[in-house]
Amino acid sequence: MKRHQRSRLGFFPALTLISFLSAIVIGLVSTWIQAFGYMPVIGYHHFSLTPWISFFDHPSTPKAIMTTLISGWGAALFSLLTTFLLFALSYNNRYWNILQKSLAPLLSVPHAAFAIGFLFLAAPSGWILRLISPELTGFQTPPDWNIIKDGYGISLMIALVIKEVPFLILISLSALSRIDVRRSIAIGRSLGYETTQVWIKIIIPQLYPKIRLSIFAVLAYSLSVVDIAQILGPTIPPTLAVQVFRWFNDPDVAFRLIGAAGATFILLLVVSSIGALFLFEKGVRCLLKFWLTTGKRESQFKTIKPLANLTIITLVGVTALAIITLIIWSFTWRWQFPDILPKTWSMKFWLKGFPKLREPIWNTITTGMAAALVGIILVIGCLEYEVILDRQGRKTNTDKAFWMMYLPLLIPQIAFLFGVQVLLVVLRLDGIWLSLVWSHLLFVLPYTFLTLGPIYRSYDQRMTDVAITLSGSPWKAFLKVKLPILMRPVLFSMAVGFSVSVAQYLPTLFIGAGRFETITTEAVNLASGSDRRIVAVYALSQLLTPLIVFFTALWLPNLYFYQRKDMQI
Amino acid sequence: MVLDLNNIQITLNAVPLFSPISLKIQAGEVATIMGPSGCGKSTLLSAICGNLPKIFQLRGDVLLNQRSMLDMPMEQRRIGILFQDDLLFPHMNIAENLAFALPEKLSRASKKMKIKDALDLADLSGFGKRDPATLSGGQRARVSLLRSLLAEPEAILLDEPFSKLDQQLKGQIRHFVFDSIRTMNIPALLVTHDPKDCPEGQTINLGNNGDSDAG
Repeated sequence: MKRHQRSRLGFFPALTLISFLSAIVIGLVSTWIQAFGYMPVIGYHHFSLTPWISFFDHPSTPKAIMTTLISGWGAALFSLLTTFLLFALSYNNRYWNILQKSLAPLLSVPHAAFAIGFLFLAAPSGWILRLISPELTGFQTPPDWNIIKDGYGISLMIALVIKEVPFLILISLSALSRIDVRRSIAIGRSLGYETTQVWIKIIIPQLYPKIRLSIFAVLAYSLSVVDIAQILGPTIPPTLAVQVFRWFNDPDVAFRLIGAAGATFILLLVVSSIGALFLFEKGVRCLLKFWLTTGKRESQFKTIKPLANLTIITLVGVTALAIITLIIWSFTWRWQFPDILPKTWSMKFWLKGFPKLREPIWNTITTGMAAALVGIILVIGCLEYEVILDRQGRKTNTDKAFWMMYLPLLIPQIAFLFGVQVLLVVLRLDGIWLSLVWSHLLFVLPYTFLTLGPIYRSYDQRMTDVAITLSGSPWKAFLKVKLPILMRPVLFSMAVGFSVSVAQYLPTLFIGAGRFETITTEAVNLASGSDRRIVAVYALSQLLTPLIVFFTALWLPNLYFYQRKDMQI
Repeated sequence: MVLDLNNIQITLNAVPLFSPISLKIQAGEVATIMGPSGCGKSTLLSAICGNLPKIFQLRGDVLLNQRSMLDMPMEQRRIGILFQDDLLFPHMNIAENLAFALPEKLSRASKKMKIKDALDLADLSGFGKRDPATLSGGQRARVSLLRSLLAEPEAILLDEPFSKLDQQLKGQIRHFVFDSIRTMNIPALLVTHDPKDCPEGQTINLGNNGDSDAG
């Protein structure tokens, strides 16, 4: 019985790994081959360096590299510094409580919807200037400022920081649960160190290695993001990832090869950036080691505490204002600059937008649900296999699995998705719904695993043992005892998986071959240059779709367990 | 040096955790507060060292060498604390853990000397470069105490520091701790639920007075 069961479940980790490692490896290799000029589908049968030469010779390449480095590295470093600054200076104060309560809502706002809201908020004709004009500025028309979509990618960087800091804080909080923060601070302070110094010298050095992979993921993402960069990034030339994306979509198919070279260059850029950050960390550790033990117990650093508190207010405030801006625009009929609010309101754009949105929303929901469902089944299968290995006294190599799980988040999407697409074209599997679900699964799986794993592993397996002895069936024990007990985290992980799927832009376009419009592809494509009122409706729909799923996931267990006190939160 | 607890009482939602405590601890003396877990012993210690969670209210006064401690932040009270977990910093080696506690003004050479002397005293000569993770529980407990004492505290609080050690080690470490405190000649307050931990100083038995979760 036992042996039989083991072999059956062993299938899950294998399937899970194959389902996404294969895509990444095949996609990367396929892109590399094209980068060296081989792409028989469009008539290129010989390897050459031409795509690389054309890539480096292209007039927009040098500036695109520069803006990519500024916005990518800038966003990652500022996010990291801000995260540490907030922990060191604001941890557990009044403002911190605001931040902690806002984390879930902040994280649930999709990147694209936030970027659109941020655009409507901070642009020269945006809400902020409308609020203070003409009284403070004297502007009767929007000023000719280049503050959004600026040539250096600064506005893109700021938007990325606002989105990434809450993520890093969430990851840090979960990592800190494995460090005895309260008593480490007590020890440090009893040795005469002020709290800020304890954070800098004792806690952050322990925290960093635990969140290193997430920091790498943030860096990789910032360097290769396409959707937000299209909305807020520079235009002529855009960032590298957007430029490559345009080449891939150029009607002249010859540009695909240059795109492949560019995509591979982005991969090299990301890999070397991660390497550089790793060396930088080692260097800082080495250089500052002596400084940890100089015995200096206080510094002027704490005087910038108001700045940290202000940062929290800004993070929460900007996101809230961005969403409010979207809501106002979606109900606007006429709103002239510099009026603070629209002159006339209207439901028209919701009524007009909704019929058009029906299909994208349907695609979004079906794809998201399918990816979330397959994802949760694979993840639960893997975790159950772990339980069985554990019983046999065999240890699973969790660290290695962790790296594997992070791989799709560390490798830029643009570096392998195009390669996958080309291969699917050859196999005639492109543009079919199952391929689309599978491509979303790549990014849904890591998040499902990361959110469900810790809670699933802490389940008291003796409950199942009791259930098996009573029912005589491992299946019954699993379905009637374990799964219901874990219903809340399972549904939550599914909701996270769903929201990850909703946010996918590149996979939907590349693997769906443009045949599946989702709410995200529509919102991003409309964002620049379309009527703000329509765009706002699309952005809000993108925001609401995962939100509704989240609330359902939270509410269903309450309904199911309404008479079970221990199952309530 | 004297640690003087003057009519200390801690309340949670207006419910006192224990009846008021008055206790005068002389330099070199180890006083004990006994009581089962949940009676508020650790909460009392956090009140004394300045780390009382805001949900509690404190009445009475804590005086160290006639100065009231209550308005001082924890880092200025010069009261050392030792928990049942050694809480050695895992990113520093043993010598660095100890150097962290030494006053800033000391020269590099005298810091080195002090660390060496301390390690010798604890039978840990040559352990300076070791990773804390490679030390045994007893060795870690000794380093933890050395670290507290190297900061030159004027009083020290011991929060069940022996409860995680096995029986054999317990006696050994207990001796080491009490001897070191006597040598430092500072007042110490130990809380424990194990009567065997008690040194010869004054003992207060808290019993189970209030209904509180505080441990």
